[in-house]
Amino acid sequence: MGSVALAVMIVSSIAAGLALVLVVADRFIANYGECTITINDERKLNVQGGKNVLSALTEEKLFIPSACGGRGTCGYCKVKATEGAGPILPTETPFLTPEEIEKNVRLSCQIKIRNDLKIEIPEELLAVREFEGVCAEITDLTYDTKLFHFELQDPPTIDFVPGQYIQLLCPKYKGNREEVYRAYSIASDPAENTTLDLVIRRAPNGICTTWCFEYLKAGDAVRFNGPYGEFRLSETDAPMVWVAGGSGMAPFVALLHQMRNENIARSTTYFFGGNKAKDMFFIDLMRQFEKDVPNFRFVPVVVAPDAGEQWDGERGLVTEALEREGGDLSGHEGYLCGSPGMIDASIKGLKQLGMTEERIFYDKFA
Amino acid sequence: MNISSQLWLAAVTCFAAIFTNNILLMYFLGLCPFTSVSREVKTAFGLGVAVVFVMTCTAMLNWLAFRYILAPLNLEFFRFIMFIIIIAAFVQFVEMVIDRYSPKLYHALGIFLPLITVNCAILGASLFMVIRDYTFIVTVGYGFGSGIGWLLAILAMAGIRQRLAHARIPRGLDGPGITLIIAGLMALAFIGFTGVLG
Amino acid sequence: MERMPQEKKLEYLLRSSKIVAAGFLGDDPRSPEQIIETDLTALMHLGYTVEQVAERMQELTVLAIPKLGNPVQASGRLQICSEDYKGEIICPWPHPVRLAKRVTTARRLDTAESIRWSDLNIHMIAEHGFFEGIGSAFRVEPAVLVRVIFEDFAGPV
Repeated sequence: MGSVALAVMIVSSIAAGLALVLVVADRFIANYGECTITINDERKLNVQGGKNVLSALTEEKLFIPSACGGRGTCGYCKVKATEGAGPILPTETPFLTPEEIEKNVRLSCQIKIRNDLKIEIPEELLAVREFEGVCAEITDLTYDTKLFHFELQDPPTIDFVPGQYIQLLCPKYKGNREEVYRAYSIASDPAENTTLDLVIRRAPNGICTTWCFEYLKAGDAVRFNGPYGEFRLSETDAPMVWVAGGSGMAPFVALLHQMRNENIARSTTYFFGGNKAKDMFFIDLMRQFEKDVPNFRFVPVVVAPDAGEQWDGERGLVTEALEREGGDLSGHEGYLCGSPGMIDASIKGLKQLGMTEERIFYDKFA
Repeated sequence: MNISSQLWLAAVTCFAAIFTNNILLMYFLGLCPFTSVSREVKTAFGLGVAVVFVMTCTAMLNWLAFRYILAPLNLEFFRFIMFIIIIAAFVQFVEMVIDRYSPKLYHALGIFLPLITVNCAILGASLFMVIRDYTFIVTVGYGFGSGIGWLLAILAMAGIRQRLAHARIPRGLDGPGITLIIAGLMALAFIGFTGVLG
Repeated sequence: MERMPQEKKLEYLLRSSKIVAAGFLGDDPRSPEQIIETDLTALMHLGYTVEQVAERMQELTVLAIPKLGNPVQASGRLQICSEDYKGEIICPWPHPVRLAKRVTTARRLDTAESIRWSDLNIHMIAEHGFFEGIGSAFRVEPAVLVRVIFEDFAGPV
């Protein structure tokens, strides 16, 4: 009996000894202590080591765009890591170009904080804020597109450059078990900075659009962060060609408000395309802008109006309308917003009319 | 036995563990990951390398634990429990260390390490070395050879399965069924090595 | 059978709505590996490979893209319509694949049978043999798919 007890004792103590070694190792090896992240050589953040940079920055209310939530599959959360980030991981290389690797660009979700870090983030991302507001009004624009009007609460105002977008938080609802962010262009007047308009077209089984169309009601609270994006009017006087389809209308509404507010009189032709007459919206608003903004011309184009529909505007694809308009566009600038297919087709069309790639602007956002 | 003859014996044991006494194809140990992780050569290689590393190290550790703790206390019958505990603790420890000091290695091996803790081939190697009364140096050779043998077998299987991916396999045999049949054929082929060292 | 941590992670991701609303598996209780195995076997009995199917789907999609959402006749009996939505969608498998959110619908004018797929469906079928779980909004039923897109399809072999 005594020998059994002794044997059990011995084995237990060996196991306990090993467990102790692991606990001690965990304390000393896996403990990264408090680390400092220096951003753009000015701002310092103290964070607990062991986490990844993206989540540490998010906790500190610094928003780096990310579509996958830190799984290393979207490649959006790039930051420049100048010191202390360690070697590039195999999970990052597929997303980085040789030039980016040369410049120490990394995916912030893949950098584990092991020591003090120095990173660089574009200044405009530091201006990104989180907003809380109320959905004040939802207006049907077409059968599958709605206008969402938000009133801001905290902070009470938003400053953005027309053409930029925000990321709307889609909360959990039946069928969606996690919060996700989706990007939408701002469609409102930058001068009215206490409200925000978004034009959203329903996507089949889209997580966020399903929520916007079926669950979001006037009076509900909304959260979003922003503004993001490089899409904006250039600082030249070159005449412009705008091409949009569907909800791609949104940023151009903001641009038109800006042009009206700032008396910008650049020659502008805006082609807005849809498949049927029922896909068109904001026609009256555009006609009003034609009166208010000098040298602005609005060209709605419909591919094939249904038999009963009344349509006396241009017909065909937007790209065909572009070609019909013709002329030499080598001195023009192109601004595009819409579905990827439409953007690709428009780029091709604009190039054929002499426009060079550097003069074509569009946002490839998520 | 002097050192040089022991080294020679270790080399022979290592060779034997790879070919004539392949732990997977002769003893059918470690079959579970062998069937489930052999779909792609790349992951099979990662797992295989992790097995080589863990098997060599734990065989050594377990030899020391057996020789200097269990044997003097007459607790040899506890070796199953001891070996498993040591393997688990070792894997945990290694995972922590490489996470800290080599993120690259962690990403290459990290996901496979916890999986290996419960791989019976690892425990099998440690038990064989006790049954066969190997010396320390021979144990190192044996652990390493067994690992390499396992790596070789799973790599060959992954290569074959990648080619099979688009082949027409009878419905009932698809997946583990055909894998085990192939493993049997591979084992037959490896029997051909018997006598090489004879 | 022992499952790899990646496989468990993948199933979690496929069931979650991180990428698409309601996930990729619908109310299908089977694991992704089982779904893939069953569908590949079904496809095999229909006499086609994933490569053939994916290539045909891609071919039809490309045909419809320039029409920007308007129907186009692929042949006398097959009508295709492809519409895209803003944004990109990522593949749930752990590799850097990003695709346009494009939805293509193929309709047979003779049988009125139709099937729709996204660019992600094509990728997942070609690369991972994955047709999505039963009950998922973008489930591509192999039998229906083959009946619709291959006009010379005569029946299972």
